[in-house]
Amino acid sequence: MRLLNFMHRNSKVDRERVHSSQNEGIQPRQSQVSNLSPITRRRIQRFKSIKRGYYSLWILAFAIYLSFFAELLMNSRALAVRFEGAWYFPTFHFYSGRAFGEDYESEANYRELKKKFEVSGHNYVLLPPIPYNPYENDFALQGNPPYAPDSRHLLGTDSSGRDVLVRLFYGFRIAIIFAILLTVSGYFIGTVIGAVMGYFGGWVDLLTQRAIEIWSTMPFLYLCIIIASIFEPTFMILLGILLLFSWINMTYYIRTEVYREKAKDYAVAAKSMGAGHLRIIMRHLLPNSLVPLVSYFPFSVVGGIYSLTALDFLGYGLPPPTPSWGDLLNQGLENAMNAPWITAATFTALVVTLLLITFIGEAVREAFDPRQFSRYK
Amino acid sequence: MRSYIIRRILLMFPTLIGITVITFLVTQFVPGGPIDQLRSRAFVQTEGGSQAPGGGLKSMDNQLSEEDLKVMVAFYGFDKPWYVQYGRWLLRLARFDLGESFRYFTPVSELIVSKLPVSIYYGLISFILVYFVCVPLGVLKAIRHKSIFDNLTSVLIFAGYATPGFALGTLLLVFVASHMDLFPLGGFVSDDFEFLPTFWAKVWDVVHHSILPLISYAVGYFASMTILMKNSVMENMSSDFVRTALAKGSSYHRAIFTHALRNSLIPLATSFGNNISLFLMGSFLIEKIFNIDGMGLLGYTSIVERDYPVVLGILVIGAILTLVGNLLSDLCVAAADPRVRFS
Repeated sequence: MRLLNFMHRNSKVDRERVHSSQNEGIQPRQSQVSNLSPITRRRIQRFKSIKRGYYSLWILAFAIYLSFFAELLMNSRALAVRFEGAWYFPTFHFYSGRAFGEDYESEANYRELKKKFEVSGHNYVLLPPIPYNPYENDFALQGNPPYAPDSRHLLGTDSSGRDVLVRLFYGFRIAIIFAILLTVSGYFIGTVIGAVMGYFGGWVDLLTQRAIEIWSTMPFLYLCIIIASIFEPTFMILLGILLLFSWINMTYYIRTEVYREKAKDYAVAAKSMGAGHLRIIMRHLLPNSLVPLVSYFPFSVVGGIYSLTALDFLGYGLPPPTPSWGDLLNQGLENAMNAPWITAATFTALVVTLLLITFIGEAVREAFDPRQFSRYK
Repeated sequence: MRSYIIRRILLMFPTLIGITVITFLVTQFVPGGPIDQLRSRAFVQTEGGSQAPGGGLKSMDNQLSEEDLKVMVAFYGFDKPWYVQYGRWLLRLARFDLGESFRYFTPVSELIVSKLPVSIYYGLISFILVYFVCVPLGVLKAIRHKSIFDNLTSVLIFAGYATPGFALGTLLLVFVASHMDLFPLGGFVSDDFEFLPTFWAKVWDVVHHSILPLISYAVGYFASMTILMKNSVMENMSSDFVRTALAKGSSYHRAIFTHALRNSLIPLATSFGNNISLFLMGSFLIEKIFNIDGMGLLGYTSIVERDYPVVLGILVIGAILTLVGNLLSDLCVAAADPRVRFS
């Protein structure tokens, strides 16, 4: 019988906490990356050693980075046009057809221009890798949309003739920004309320707990639907609606953490030296109570994407024609027989994205978990 | 113990009142209620009537006069301030009367009872399915921590966690039901259910209809329950009482299955109560996709069509189930863990 990796759980937890509080006293400013406390450095090290999560983080970060350049990668506007000796860069600028010697006032059709210039030879159009934008209805094909995947639309089009791949990519950017904003702002509110509950305790705690219990029993998707049917939901309004509920979970964790931290010697010492409530909470308690924020972050992002997609799916989310995964899923369901590629592509994009975030989340949780399980064999 | 339960039950009332007051207030300010619906319907009908040739019977058309509207407003009780309406509703609730649906003019309780069996069927089966798979799987994963088996099932489980049920439902409906034609497209039973020749044909019909929705229902729960079970077994495996058991010469097998396992079921007991309301209320997304006429779909359509008595009725039942579930969880924990004492 061998003892593997045995470390008593509670003593480990306590040592960690003492460490972090001591460091706080010695080095009050630890904003520089190189000045990270040893415990944070060890956690990052542990996260890096969990390959599945670490590589997922890189892949996801790269995808988000790429999505910020969506207008350069997937757009109907050309990246650059060389016309009669002058250069034009239409990505963020409107040029009518006349600017390039065409006879229409509407926006220049760069795909047609490219074909034309290739025949004539001396002018030049550089198109993005995928020359379609997410709002464009491509009816130039035979028959009615949705069109099946081909060389023109790699993942086919939706029922209005819009490129599925392009809409998925723009939809990814919207969903991920939405979910991250939702999580950050929800955590901010949750941390403030949780810290107040944990720090003051007593009646404040009891009353807020009751209120939160009521608020959290409200069926949240129902309320979202009701509110979304009154206001025409925009990105910010939808964010606000979901924010009404997304802060709740974090209060539980922060409340418990602050409750535990405030009983420790360093907090009592700060109080006896005359530090005010705000200073104790902000400078002493919160920095030692933020582990749940980091370790639940990825899972909350998953939840944010889930909620946005579900609301879009039901038609109570972002207004059309915003590119959205929920809308695409709904179209896939409506065109179950004649356009299975919509469902297949959207499902894959959604699940792969959520899976990457889940892998990251699992690795972060493991890296931040002070518990080390011993094994007897 | 008894006083604890009584106190918890008493504490439910303020919560229930809080929830229903908020919902009641929301219904007051939402446009599109029954009166608005009557108005727009009457408007459409007068438009149609005036265009019809020879529509001379002006007095017979469906235009609502202001008096008619007032009668309707009074009929729905909207002429009173909201707190009077709320008080009336609460008094009726005290007599277990949830009022009448605005849409069907049948009692809400009858409506809910008629949808309940479908939801209970799905809830119970996914409940059993989840626990029967997750408990053994979690134990096995804990015993073989960091083995190939553990890593492989972890990937599967995370894939399950990352798959929203309604997205999986859509995928299954599009490919397995529509294209491969292996399963029916939706509904609880076939249209010709009544005329199916044998009992077993009927059973097969129900099962056949429920396989895809059940997969979609359960996919999200597998992950969290299995991880919960695994972590809890892991924690107990490293605890002092297992070490003691091993030191006394008990076999590894015996130490795990008689000592660690029993204690690992405690967190599962906690989630047991919380899951009750989830399973009974169903998921309206999945019920909508598969066109299953259960509680979830009833709640969803009543929200969309502003059938407030039904919305409130479902809300009350859901809230009670949640609160009772929480209480049951705590009691389960106390039953499983003698260290827990109520104060």
